[in-house]
Amino acid sequence: MKKILTLLVSVLCTLSVFGQSKMDYTRVNTVTQVGDTLIVKYQYFKGTDADGNDMPDAKLYQFDIQYNNKLLNPVLYDWQPTAGSEQKAINSWTGYKFTIDDTKDQTDFDGQYLSWLAADASYSSNSDWSVDRVTWQNTTSLENGDEILKVSYKIKDKANTNYTDYSNIINVNWANYKEADGTQIDVTGQSNVGLTDIQGGDAGDVSISVSSNIISNNIGDGSDFFYTIITKEDMDDGDPTNDVIVASGTFDAAGDATVTGLENDVEYAVWISIDDSKEYLDNVVTVSDLALIFQEAIGAGDSPNGSTTTFDYYAQKLLGDVYFPQGDDPFTINFQDSYEVLAYLQGVTSDNTTYITKTGGAFNVSGIKSTFGDKGETTDYPTFSPIIKPSDSNKSFEFAHALAGDVNFSHGFEPTSTNASIPNAAQSATTARSMMARGVKFQPETANIDLVSELKDGQVIFSINSDVVDMIGSQFNIVYDRTRLVLDNVVFDTGNTMTNFTNHLEESGKINIGSFDQNFEATVKTGTPYKLIFTPTVQLNNTAGLITFKVNEGVKADGTQINFIMN
Amino acid sequence: MKKLLILLSLIFVVGCSPEEIISPIDLNQTEVPESLVIDDLQGLKLESTIVSDEVRMNVKLPYTGTYRIKIRDISKELISQEKIQGQEGDNLLKVYVSSLSKDGYIIELTNNDHDVLGLTTFVVN
Repeated sequence: MKKILTLLVSVLCTLSVFGQSKMDYTRVNTVTQVGDTLIVKYQYFKGTDADGNDMPDAKLYQFDIQYNNKLLNPVLYDWQPTAGSEQKAINSWTGYKFTIDDTKDQTDFDGQYLSWLAADASYSSNSDWSVDRVTWQNTTSLENGDEILKVSYKIKDKANTNYTDYSNIINVNWANYKEADGTQIDVTGQSNVGLTDIQGGDAGDVSISVSSNIISNNIGDGSDFFYTIITKEDMDDGDPTNDVIVASGTFDAAGDATVTGLENDVEYAVWISIDDSKEYLDNVVTVSDLALIFQEAIGAGDSPNGSTTTFDYYAQKLLGDVYFPQGDDPFTINFQDSYEVLAYLQGVTSDNTTYITKTGGAFNVSGIKSTFGDKGETTDYPTFSPIIKPSDSNKSFEFAHALAGDVNFSHGFEPTSTNASIPNAAQSATTARSMMARGVKFQPETANIDLVSELKDGQVIFSINSDVVDMIGSQFNIVYDRTRLVLDNVVFDTGNTMTNFTNHLEESGKINIGSFDQNFEATVKTGTPYKLIFTPTVQLNNTAGLITFKVNEGVKADGTQINFIMN
Repeated sequence: MKKLLILLSLIFVVGCSPEEIISPIDLNQTEVPESLVIDDLQGLKLESTIVSDEVRMNVKLPYTGTYRIKIRDISKELISQEKIQGQEGDNLLKVYVSSLSKDGYIIELTNNDHDVLGLTTFVVN
């Protein structure tokens, strides 16, 4: 038993001391990005025999390196300083990959060499790999730990390759170390060089989408929107005049776009805008928005305590703040904002610079959908993040869009994020709307109404007949055939205290008419509150198609929009 | 003799004049072009489905009275409506499309209670 133990200890000691020569290849530097230069050193370590003595010196050091040419581009072969009397050579072949002799370990480099000579291991065609054969010989041997060669490789983008990572990019296939008398020396080493967490590179196809009620309610479609992308670095430099547009384009009808030209792990700012030539933009800001802005002006901005709000979302603070001269508190609604909207609906030209969306003048607000309009960390101001960062694991981003002045989101995305909703406790009054779920607070109610034209005594009479009893405001956007009709008169019969408005755009044949009670008390009279009288300029027998209507809405005292249904 | 000749000439000229000029006109009867003839007792027909500016329309009514002509967009939302006092039978009218965008539409004939009596489609080009 003692002998057996002695033998075992002896064997273990032999194993622990004995070591083959090594073909060591390791990374010299740290690389993290596509485009970085990876330096790998190829180094000789002398082995020891069973007695702990150095293995015989080699005079020939030859080894084959294969590297993945889709992921690496060798840019520098740097022989390391030696005596100067050595002979050295690098031979290269592109499009080959080594098939090992699988009866031996891959890292049995001298064994694989012998197998290659015996054709038990071989090179076969493979366009993804290249082979460098390194040969160094001299009459004097390398010292233990001497470096033979450093090779610099540029890291290539794995986009459009068959590789999903950089885990195996360099192998030594075999090594041929020989003593002066030609005796083969045992050589081993590690199996490969690989890299992890390499960032950057072409992100390939990145998907972005835009959500808006313009799309979901078929007011227009996604192709009305376009995107512009710059780097976040560019955005942060504070000088928009030097911004370089990385990518731009339009969305498809569904509001989706595939963006190319972006890089992985780089932050970008995405801005989404609408084609402001769209005629429906004249219907964005209506009496329903006016009511909400008036309510807010009364309940918050100019109230004695100024601390409560009637809004449901922080985003409305931006969308409703249509007039903010220098020195004005941002995101604060006051009466000036509401009067500017009223003036707009009345067709009164304001001398002030306002941010009321209309045809030819859209004011876009866009941001990541999931956080659209979220409360700021330290303020009650809404936030809209334009930032995306494509990566291997995330190439799809959803955006939302809204328009300045559109506080009821009729043409925008109503926020759905928890942090976008103003808590009831912060509101000046609890409305039925405020109790509704996020994203659907502004679902309009419906009511029947009758809009009809007729030829009467040589004139064309367009009547708006209503039985709706609880409207504190209403608006009708009407288009008429100005080649055949001339507007003569607008007759209001809305009640004594209503503020009526008419905005006649004669050159385009449009008339916006409506009413609004700024005290939120009086309601529009039932019957025929509005009548338009036209004189024909041509002989007419009937009026079919001469007058069309698109926006027909009322608003209740709590700001709820009423969409009129016409049979 | 000269007077007799003048009288005979006048008789000749009158005799050669088209008959319809001197026939009494029936004001209740409308000349309906073949393209607008409606075989049913009621309905609505346009002279052309593709329209620019205006198109002739026949509205055939079962009774004299108040009717409505409605234009609906692709989502069937009412965007224009007129009320007419129509005569029983054919009524030749027009549809004016200058204020409509280039799109497809439905045009309906209803009675004053909104019961549909006929409908057809047209596109503005």
